[in-house]
Amino acid sequence: MPTRADDVRADRRKAESTRRAARAFQAVVLLLALAWSLAPIYWMVATSFKTELEAARLVPTLWPHDATIDNYLGLWTGSLPFPSFFLSSLTTCLATAVVSVLIATPAGYALSRTQFRLRTSVGYAILVFRMLPLVVLLAPLYLLLLHARLLDTHAGLVVGFTTFGLPFAVWMMKSFIDAVPIEIEEAARVDGYSRLQILLRIVGPLILPGLLTTATFVFMEAWNNLIFPLTFVTTLEKQTLPAALVLSFTGQFKTDWGGMMAAATVTTVPLMIAFFAVQRSMVRGLTSGAVAGA
Amino acid sequence: MMEAASAHATNVLRRKRRGTPWLDSMVAPALGVLAIVVGYPIVYTLVLSAHDYDLAGTEAPRYIGVANYHKLVEDPTFWKALVNSGIYAFGSVAVAALIGLALALLTEDLVGRKGRIARMLLLAPWAVPFVVTAFLFRYMYLQNGGAINAALIETGLIRAPIPWLNSAYLAMPAVMVANVWAMAPFFFLLLSAALAGIPNEVIESARVDRASRFDLVVRIKLPFLRNALLIGSLLMIIANFNDFAKIWAMTQGGPGYSTTTLVIYVYRQAFEKFAFGYASAIGVVWLVLLLGFAMAYLRALRAN
Repeated sequence: MPTRADDVRADRRKAESTRRAARAFQAVVLLLALAWSLAPIYWMVATSFKTELEAARLVPTLWPHDATIDNYLGLWTGSLPFPSFFLSSLTTCLATAVVSVLIATPAGYALSRTQFRLRTSVGYAILVFRMLPLVVLLAPLYLLLLHARLLDTHAGLVVGFTTFGLPFAVWMMKSFIDAVPIEIEEAARVDGYSRLQILLRIVGPLILPGLLTTATFVFMEAWNNLIFPLTFVTTLEKQTLPAALVLSFTGQFKTDWGGMMAAATVTTVPLMIAFFAVQRSMVRGLTSGAVAGA
Repeated sequence: MMEAASAHATNVLRRKRRGTPWLDSMVAPALGVLAIVVGYPIVYTLVLSAHDYDLAGTEAPRYIGVANYHKLVEDPTFWKALVNSGIYAFGSVAVAALIGLALALLTEDLVGRKGRIARMLLLAPWAVPFVVTAFLFRYMYLQNGGAINAALIETGLIRAPIPWLNSAYLAMPAVMVANVWAMAPFFFLLLSAALAGIPNEVIESARVDRASRFDLVVRIKLPFLRNALLIGSLLMIIANFNDFAKIWAMTQGGPGYSTTTLVIYVYRQAFEKFAFGYASAIGVVWLVLLLGFAMAYLRALRAN
């Protein structure tokens, strides 16, 4: 006849085995999730080391059997100037990040520190600007750049990137500045610091991490952009990587998936680095305005 | 202006609360630039939409009133593109949010180094440029030699290779799968942060009440995630309505019009047909739609 103690023991054993089953289930699902996330990336990198013939096989090989770095060398020596695509991407995206943050930081400071009458409406207007469909701006921006003789220049491309980089940077900088207590500024004022000194010596160092994060975000968004370079840049040498990928697919890489994936890998690496540098602030970045706008 | 302002240094706190011109003026550069690169194009779009303007032609823009809008209402491709945009945006966001939620719950109690690494690896698709995602999936979707068909045939799930991107029925879902792959990490990270923000007492008291695992998730955790889910979804719906890179690099809107969303349609009208006036009219309609979403977003923020 089972006693109470036996019941308890049986209960515990049952709970233990459910817990173990739950753990095993969790591990299996986690492995599946990792496979879903990483398999495509693995496939890209693996293919980039395959020969054109191997990459085109009807039954694909799981890993490069005849590993080669020719695809990467081909980016240097091929008919398309990939080094200059890379440089174009780097310069325009860096310039956009610097310009956006330079203009956005004072604006973010003002939006954070004042209560002027238009504050809320200006803030919301900037937020809505951030959501505007780029393609709607495309035709008028094209004409604007045409008349300003900035079409087919990197400067013109930076102007295009600024349309989404700047509103984003304003909101993000505001949320970083909101986190700096105003009391620090008041204390510095009592100590006789001038307004400019407070901005440069007190607030500046405190928001520097936020500034770098914001710049990185703008850089990433610009790096991802395809529609502006595709429409505003016509000289091949001045093209950026994403647009170059699209253009090269109709030419050099039409059947050469190994070469295509090498170019894709090269396009991914800078974004990967930037991403993991700011990963911790990622949520804040993409919903900024969510926190600050309330 | 700086000196004039510093004369009132002692009053700075009170002045700040009331508003100070020198501070206000710091917004000016940003507003000035935005007025040129965003404000002016919007106004210009409105103007263009009332004109017949063929950039390729030699004629000057001709005022035609609402004719472009008339044309738009009767243009079946416009409606098709609008529906496609809706399917693409809402469908991808719903699935990506569900996957993100599942991943967040799955990794919630993973701590330490292993947990950190697992989380980082799950976020990796986010760091892949959109164009790269597009070409990568395009390669995997290949009818002959594509990894997906090869895997499905190898495991016996299908007998003959499927022409994913070349089928008018399958192209849209196929593009959406790539989109979900790229977007799920956003929801994963957002919801992980929201989960971590649930007060411990709430979870503890539910435990004391011997709530089942299922109850704990559905009754306690999900309500806490509502706001994050809502804000994240609205943001991503807007972003997906605007997505050009992935669709263009994968299908260019084809086959036929099966993956032509509004972005693709406007782009084709403006830069392949050079019908800037008509493209602008579509843009205006879209702008109105988008403002609706933006309003919903702002209301969600304020309710938060």
